[in-house]
Amino acid sequence: MSAVTEKSTAAGAIVETRALTKIFGGVRAVDGLDFAISDGEIHCIIGPNGAGKSTLFKLFMGIERPTAGTIALDGHDVTRLAPHLRARRGLAIKFQAMQVYQDLTVYQNLFIPLRRHHRPREIPERCAELLAQLQLTDTEERIVGDLSHGQQQWLAIGMSMAVDPKVLLLDEPTAGMSPEETRQTAAIMRQLNESGVTIAVIEHDMAFVRDLDTRTTVLHYGKVFAQGAFADIERDEDVHRIYLGKI
Amino acid sequence: MAQRHSVLDRYLGPLNGPHTMGRGVAFWVGFVIVVAVLASFPEYMRRYDIINLSNFLISGFLALSLSLLWGYCGVLSLGQAAFHGIGGYAYGIVALNLFNAHGNTDLAFFAGVAIPVIFAAIIGGIMFFARLRGVYIAILMLVVSLLIGTFMRQTADPSYTIGAAYLGGMNGLRPASVEDPLLPSLIFGWGETVIELDGRRPAFFYFVLGLLVAVYLGLRCLVNSSYGYWLVGCREDPNRTETFGYDVRLIQLGVFCIAAAIAGLSGVLYTAWGTYIHPDGFGVAPNILVVIWVAVGGRKDLGAAIAGAIVLEWVSLRLAAEGEIAFLVLGAILVGVMLIAPNGLGITIGDYIRRGHDRAIAWVRAR
Repeated sequence: MSAVTEKSTAAGAIVETRALTKIFGGVRAVDGLDFAISDGEIHCIIGPNGAGKSTLFKLFMGIERPTAGTIALDGHDVTRLAPHLRARRGLAIKFQAMQVYQDLTVYQNLFIPLRRHHRPREIPERCAELLAQLQLTDTEERIVGDLSHGQQQWLAIGMSMAVDPKVLLLDEPTAGMSPEETRQTAAIMRQLNESGVTIAVIEHDMAFVRDLDTRTTVLHYGKVFAQGAFADIERDEDVHRIYLGKI
Repeated sequence: MAQRHSVLDRYLGPLNGPHTMGRGVAFWVGFVIVVAVLASFPEYMRRYDIINLSNFLISGFLALSLSLLWGYCGVLSLGQAAFHGIGGYAYGIVALNLFNAHGNTDLAFFAGVAIPVIFAAIIGGIMFFARLRGVYIAILMLVVSLLIGTFMRQTADPSYTIGAAYLGGMNGLRPASVEDPLLPSLIFGWGETVIELDGRRPAFFYFVLGLLVAVYLGLRCLVNSSYGYWLVGCREDPNRTETFGYDVRLIQLGVFCIAAAIAGLSGVLYTAWGTYIHPDGFGVAPNILVVIWVAVGGRKDLGAAIAGAIVLEWVSLRLAAEGEIAFLVLGAILVGVMLIAPNGLGITIGDYIRRGHDRAIAWVRAR
């Protein structure tokens, strides 16, 4: 473990795991993980491929069941809860794979998550707000499959935002985006965070993580390898050795 | 935003929406004309043709049920005809037992719809809460249908009687004794009022046509409501939809039961139409036929599915004199349509009409 590692369970944690373990066959994708996301923060999770980052998000959301350990959301144990019940408690996710309804219009894509918390007559207005926030104004009637990759990524983020989450899990939100789109995505995330949403984000784009400049966790072999401010993480030689490359 | 396009939306709002073809004046005028033309058939068509047309319309209910389940919610069932058969048997068994006492088939009609729903709730609950999906549901439902058919075929022994109803094995449902009533057509009774709808008479045809229009319009309202969006969400990506807080299992179970009710209704009408029901309806061919009607017409639109059923039933009837060739031709039609218009002929033609209509309007505006 790296020298910069902080105490992993922070006070005021909104998501917290204890001894969380997930074994696929003989592989320990997540290995006895004690980890916490503090209420109101943006928390970046980085690490080499196979470090268990996406598996961790799937465990948070209930898509995968843990082999051992517990997950708490806002102080309540949600380890055994189905994904839709975790969503109702304020957890939302954008998966690594593009998860938009490709054959539907942008409006229809947003209607489905928005309808969860809004009456039908409120949806057009809320939809317009979201589209403005995502810089997708005037795309309501377009089929999603016809949008650019970056626009689809934003829409996928917007669909997760549409359920008014307490905690938003974003798995590689900038994958395939241009540098300008990546900067805009960071701005959207900051804006969202300022409105009170806690965000956990998995990223490989270090420029993006540097731009966010928030608390960062390095996962390695399913365990916390390092944790702290990104500036400190970036200076850590051990992190460079396992993930970022030689200084 | 999702703009309402038709001036009729003020009055027909719930019927129109993004999940059904046709929302403008031209569509609704065309719809009224088609229904009016169908309603006028008994005036100038032979009685034999009207009897057959009644049966085609009954097939329309079955097509609607699979369109809702498969086309809107993405749950392909290869055993939808099982609910048709269960509904038919339930209607027949209750009618044979209660007709003498009640003088009508009100309860039998209700049972023919309700019992398939109960059966669907049990088997659907097991399937969906076990998180079965895709091909597993399709195959499981076909197996269930075949198992019911196999059981019903071996009920020729006289011990297989339920009160006044003898299941009758391969020969189908019949009275248990000569004192018991014959399997009746639909007879509705309210107090002194009795309405008899004999499957060979125009009144039955009008009833089936009216009911089909009502169910079609009701389902249009359903699929264009918020519930319709949830169905489409489950079809497009059930895992993603679940992460928005929707219990996908309950949504799938709900639509499975609604589809079973509609398929059961078709079974009731079929049994009342021919005053017989037999186990062949649970076989592979009847189940696959429903899939062919819906796939050829267009599974993602209710009207296209009905049109597919009626047209292909007519084709089957025309080819019936040629022996087993009918099924071969239907199979060839399915393959051809899947290659040329994978969304179904009805939807593809509808798309061409819509594009032509949009171009014409643009041309007129440009002038």
